[in-house]
Amino acid sequence: MSAETLHNIKLFAPEVCLTLFLCLLFIVDGLIPKSRTNKVPMMVTIIACIAAVLLTCKVGTTSEAYFGGMLVNDGLTKFFRYFFFFTAAVSSYVAFGSSEIENRSRMEFSLLLICTTIGMGIMAGATHLLVLYMGIEMVSIISFVMAGFKRDNLRSNEASFKYLVFGGVASGLMIYGFSLLYGLTGSLNYPQITAYLSSTQGNLGLVFWLSLVLIYGGLAYKISAFPMHFWAPDVYEGAPTPVATFFSVGPKAAGFAAFLRMVLTVFAAKTAEGNWQMLPGISLTSAIAVISALTMVVGNLSAIGQTNVKRILAYSSIAHVGYMLMGLVTLDRSGLTAIIFYLIAYCAMNIGAFWVVGVVSNLRGREDLDAFRGMGWSMPVLGTCMGVFIFSLTGIPMFSGFIGKFLIFGSVIKSGGFLWLALLGVLNSVVSLYYYIKILKSMWLDKPEIAESLTLSPYHAFGLVGLAIPTVVLGLYFTPILEFAERTLSNIL
Amino acid sequence: MFPILSVMTYIPLLGMVAVLATPRNNPNLVRWISVVATAIPLALGVYLYMHFDRSTASMQFVEQFDWIKPFNIQYFMGIDGLSVPMVLLTVLLSFLCVIASWGIEDGVKGYYAMFLFLETGMMGVFCALDFFLFFLFWEIMLLPMYFLIGIWGGKEKVYAAIKFFLYTLFGSVLMLLVMVGMYYYSEPHTFNLLQLAQSHQFVGKTIALFGHQLPLDKLFWIGLFIGFAIKVPVWPFHTWLPWAHVEAPTAVSVILAGVLLKMGTYGILRMNYPILPEATMWASNFMMDLGVINILYGAFCAMAQKDLKKLVAYSSVSHMGYVIVGMASFTTAGVNGAVLQMFNHGTSTAMLFLLVGVVYDRVHHRWIVKPDGSKGFGGIASVVPVYTGIMAIGLFASLGLPGLSGFISEALVFLGAFSNPKFQTYVVIGSLGILLGAAYLLWMFMRVFLGPLNEEHKELEDINGREIFTLAPLCVLVIVLGVYPMPVLNLMGSTIAKLLTLFS
Repeated sequence: MSAETLHNIKLFAPEVCLTLFLCLLFIVDGLIPKSRTNKVPMMVTIIACIAAVLLTCKVGTTSEAYFGGMLVNDGLTKFFRYFFFFTAAVSSYVAFGSSEIENRSRMEFSLLLICTTIGMGIMAGATHLLVLYMGIEMVSIISFVMAGFKRDNLRSNEASFKYLVFGGVASGLMIYGFSLLYGLTGSLNYPQITAYLSSTQGNLGLVFWLSLVLIYGGLAYKISAFPMHFWAPDVYEGAPTPVATFFSVGPKAAGFAAFLRMVLTVFAAKTAEGNWQMLPGISLTSAIAVISALTMVVGNLSAIGQTNVKRILAYSSIAHVGYMLMGLVTLDRSGLTAIIFYLIAYCAMNIGAFWVVGVVSNLRGREDLDAFRGMGWSMPVLGTCMGVFIFSLTGIPMFSGFIGKFLIFGSVIKSGGFLWLALLGVLNSVVSLYYYIKILKSMWLDKPEIAESLTLSPYHAFGLVGLAIPTVVLGLYFTPILEFAERTLSNIL
Repeated sequence: MFPILSVMTYIPLLGMVAVLATPRNNPNLVRWISVVATAIPLALGVYLYMHFDRSTASMQFVEQFDWIKPFNIQYFMGIDGLSVPMVLLTVLLSFLCVIASWGIEDGVKGYYAMFLFLETGMMGVFCALDFFLFFLFWEIMLLPMYFLIGIWGGKEKVYAAIKFFLYTLFGSVLMLLVMVGMYYYSEPHTFNLLQLAQSHQFVGKTIALFGHQLPLDKLFWIGLFIGFAIKVPVWPFHTWLPWAHVEAPTAVSVILAGVLLKMGTYGILRMNYPILPEATMWASNFMMDLGVINILYGAFCAMAQKDLKKLVAYSSVSHMGYVIVGMASFTTAGVNGAVLQMFNHGTSTAMLFLLVGVVYDRVHHRWIVKPDGSKGFGGIASVVPVYTGIMAIGLFASLGLPGLSGFISEALVFLGAFSNPKFQTYVVIGSLGILLGAAYLLWMFMRVFLGPLNEEHKELEDINGREIFTLAPLCVLVIVLGVYPMPVLNLMGSTIAKLLTLFS
């Protein structure tokens, strides 16, 4: 093996490490008797994720492209790698506390989870259209399987199938867009595409815009942005709750990573001050602003009428994508810092909220608002944690979600041009309170129909409190994250 | 230096933690912890009152250090003449309300935990001098309030709680935008309210909305004003108030009317006035209009009420109108009167709510006239003489009888407004409110306490020792400040004098 190949593999180490653990999982599974497999795959997954995080710390602090410019290792990749590995570890912890994932298929669940995580890592680092496509498909196809994980449940099967059909259409659109872009620019490599686009000085034909719309269709499906968001509520509702938990954070963030990288490196160029500027003739900021506005309005308004908590959270996760896209409108460091912070905050609070739904659904067998009646009084820890997550999702101060919104709106107002978007954003968060608070109303304001003594197992309590604490702490003190984001952004290729 | 303001703010929070840590089924322990956790701030409040330097307009008892460096956010607490009366009101009413809540039996732990958390929020709002910190306290107050109304409230509690929450959040998000805007449009970027007030740098700048260039300072002013006006509440943002005040449990109504409403007017005086004086001048007529509408609208609504608590709630709308009128007059007498009215309304309305709570605890209704048209009470003065006496004091203070506290502040407000030639017509119309106030309150008194005794209530028990304990301090304040208001006026004199130099 040449030195260069070795170096490339070193930069790819976190994903390689996960792959090795994947193999290990097979072996471990064979060695341990079936009855005891309960928690072992989870342990392996978590260890794998920790190892991957450690490796991510190790591999290169400078940004460089590798594997012939197909992948890149820079600040953005690094941040998203941390993010994915953390999400995967937590999701696996969530899944193993849930009765929705059957005992006999826990091993398969872990395998699929690790596999998706590898795909997400590739999505975050891809600077080549085909590699990106490969990453997306790796995530998508495994997601279809995960959505249908409750094999004998009709809703779960429906979710899986819907996801598959929708995903097929979306990736078809995207690959068509890629091929048009390839035909136009003669390359699949981001830097070369950018070079071509800037050489045209803005004289771009209809084909270019068509390809842009098609690519957006594919990516919008991944981040569930308007108008490709329709699948999310159905899939989240049908899929086992731990899987929905993972979908609402992991693959969505991966889509976001790809979206960010494409906008920032293909259609925009870095300016001297460390901000970004759209290439001449390709002004996408207004388009992104409109998409962001539509996404949050549609997400929030659709959530109002829902009574199933998983659907409420699904629509809310659509709305949050809208907020996050606002940060991209300004194309400056403050906006991207805001996105990074928002993703971190969103990860903790959204996983937490879905987790609570999972716990309730395990107890009651359903997850409509009525199932939550009086839960706060019978399980105060669960109720308090849900309060923290819900208020954070709404964007009430003292919780990290507020800081996310504060940074996002701040960046928009700072730029001066999109005041309407900021106004729309804050009004949306008032609307969102209306449906979020319904969950807390059920949990705390309604008395339980029958007095029952429920106890929250320490396993769940540990995890939920573990997510609630950072949600509060980041809401009160967030300097370290700002510094981290600053380092991340100074290091984008 | 001893961080007295922080201690006053966070002792209730510690109390909350202690309350939550108590074992199950020991409500008395919870109650006593809460008494201690509110008594300490009250004692420190007395200390503040003694040691507050009345001769200076600058901030005192200041605590300032960096909190979030990259955004230049500071932990900055301090008080001046505007905040001191409010801080004193907060610690006093919180302490009395903890005692007034003794009768709560369901979820005692949760109730007191939320209540103590609320006190932390209120204290913070009145002490914070950094916009970010202010906003944080302003918002976290909503959470306990939502649960206090929604869990321990009356029949329509769920609707009342969500209405309160949505309205206030709507105001706060506009405030959030203004806060962020002020940060980015100030040079150097800062959230420090004193620094923002020093340089009038928002005048003349514009911001684009749909291609229109809008003046920045007026936009900021409107955003802040809506946020605060919802809290006051200024007509037409008042519709949450009758719901929240009526459905909330007694002690929470007291806090709502006694302290939370004042946050609105306090906010206007703390932010709109010093930071955006030009825009404030620009909007003075508009504020005057709203103030007069508030006075009359609140009074007419109160007159139409058949529910005792709703009557008191609408009387608050009317009385907060005086505050707005006084503030908008830009005269020494007017603004002093406004701040004094904030304090006096806090004590007198707290009395009325507590008294309504007393009778509600006994007969579980508070109809002046029942929905079927029959009398709710009537002639109970002969059964409950002590109760009637205290009610009379609260009521006369509220309607502005000379010799009781309400008179002085209302007189100052109108005196100030009348001395500004622009506003003389307003005063003439607004003073009708005093007449209306007397009308609805005395009419209520007549129908409830005087006349032939309603036989349903001949067994009514008179007020008990604990209830007298909560009412006595307020009674004393109402009478003392009615005769000699200087203890409060002295506190704020120099601060208001300095504030008004911006408008001369």
